[in-house]
Amino acid sequence: MPAYLQPKTLDEAFEYLAREGETRIFAGGTDLIVLMRDGVIRPHALVDVKALPELQGIEIDNNKLVIGAAATCGDLIASSCVSDSCLLLKQAALTLANSLLRNRATLVGNLCNASPGADMAPAALVLQGVLTAVSPEGAREIALKDFFVGVKKHVLKANEIVTKISFPVNKGRGIYLKKRRIRGHDLAQVGVAGFHDEDGIFRLALGAVAITPLLLDDFGCLSASDLALEKADIAKEAVEAAKPISDVRASSDYRLAMVKLFTERIVDALAMGREVEQ
Amino acid sequence: MTKKPIHLTVNGQEYDTFVSENATLLILLREELGLTGTKEGCGAGECGACTVIFNGKPVNSCMVLALECEGARIRTIEGEYANGELSDLQKAFLEHNAFQCGFCTPGMIMSARALLEANPHPSRKEIKDAMEGNLCRCTGYESIVCAIESVGVSKS
Repeated sequence: MPAYLQPKTLDEAFEYLAREGETRIFAGGTDLIVLMRDGVIRPHALVDVKALPELQGIEIDNNKLVIGAAATCGDLIASSCVSDSCLLLKQAALTLANSLLRNRATLVGNLCNASPGADMAPAALVLQGVLTAVSPEGAREIALKDFFVGVKKHVLKANEIVTKISFPVNKGRGIYLKKRRIRGHDLAQVGVAGFHDEDGIFRLALGAVAITPLLLDDFGCLSASDLALEKADIAKEAVEAAKPISDVRASSDYRLAMVKLFTERIVDALAMGREVEQ
Repeated sequence: MTKKPIHLTVNGQEYDTFVSENATLLILLREELGLTGTKEGCGAGECGACTVIFNGKPVNSCMVLALECEGARIRTIEGEYANGELSDLQKAFLEHNAFQCGFCTPGMIMSARALLEANPHPSRKEIKDAMEGNLCRCTGYESIVCAIESVGVSKS
C-alpha cells in the first residue's frame, strides 16, 4: 500500500522523491490509480504535486501560452487563454476520454505518462510545446519533440518534476483527428494533428502508430495552395514514418490506412480553410 | 492496516473519519460513510456508475483517492432526495422510464445535475456530450436524454 504524501513546497517534494523505494509523482491519478488497482505498479509512495504553487494556472506570458502541470484537461477546455491562443489544444482535449475523466486528468500528466497514443501529444508536438522540469539542481527546458524515448519512457530524471508546459502563441490553424471505436471510452487507434502556422510552416504529428508519438516537421514553408499540391507527398511521408503494431484496438494495416486518410483530410482542410468532422 | 484521518463534507454534512491510504473516494463513501447509493461498476474510470460531484465538478469517485478529499465538498445521489421529496431529476427519470436495473442511475443523475448547474438549458447534443462518460447497459440512452432535457425545459 503506497504512502500518500502531499508536499507543500517543491523542496519537500524533492525530499519525498529522494526516499528509498519506488516513488511516483501523482497528479490527476487517472493512469496511476488503474495501474495500482491492477497490480501493474506497486509504488512505495505517491507524491501528490497538484497543490504546489509552481504548478498552478493557465496564462499568456511574453507571447507564450503557459499551462501549469496541475491544470486539468477540463481547465484547459474552459480557458479563454487556450481558446484564444492555441485552439488546437482544446480540440484535442475534447477527444480525451470523457468529461468526468477530463475533470481529473492533467495535460502534463498525459504527456508524462508517455503513452504512444496519448491524446494530447500530437497537438502539443505540432504546437512546439516546451516542458519546464525542476530538480534540486535547478530548472531546465525540454522541447517536447525531445521528450519521448520509448513506450511509457521519457527523458525525465527520477528527481525531476515538470512544473509547466509552454507554447509559442501562433495565429496559425490546426486540426486533430482521432480514430477510436467508442466515443468517450476508447484510447486512440490513431491520432493525427496538423498545424499550418502563421509563417506558412506546416507540421504533422502522429499518435498510436509507433513506440512514441511522432513529429514530422521537415515540410518547410508552404502557401495554402502549395500545401494542397503537396498532399500526396505529405501523406506518403506520414505513412512511411509510422511503424504501427497490431493490437486489440486495430491492425497495423488499418492504422496505416487511417494515417493516410487523416493526413489527407487535415491537409485538405487546412489548405482550403474548411472544418473537418471528428 | 493503518488508517489516516480525513475531514470532508458530503451532501452538506460534515464527516470526520479514517481511511486507508489506498482507498478511493468511492470506498470512503460506501464503506466508511455507509453511503451506498454511489455504485462501483468498472472501478477504472470507464463506466461512470460511481459519478459524484467533487468541489462542483462531476468525477468518477473510483478515480479519486480518498485522502485527496481532505476538506472537499462532495455531493452524491443521497443528496438529491430532500425534505421527503425526490429531486426534479429523480422525478424526470421516473416519468420517462429512464432506468430498468437502475445501477447506472445514481451516476447518470449526478452527471446530469452537474450539467444543469453549469448549463440550465442544455441542447440534446450538450446533454449527450456531458453524459458520454456514463454507460447504461439496459435502458438505452434516449429516455435518459429525454428525462434530462425535460428538466432543462421546465426550468425555462
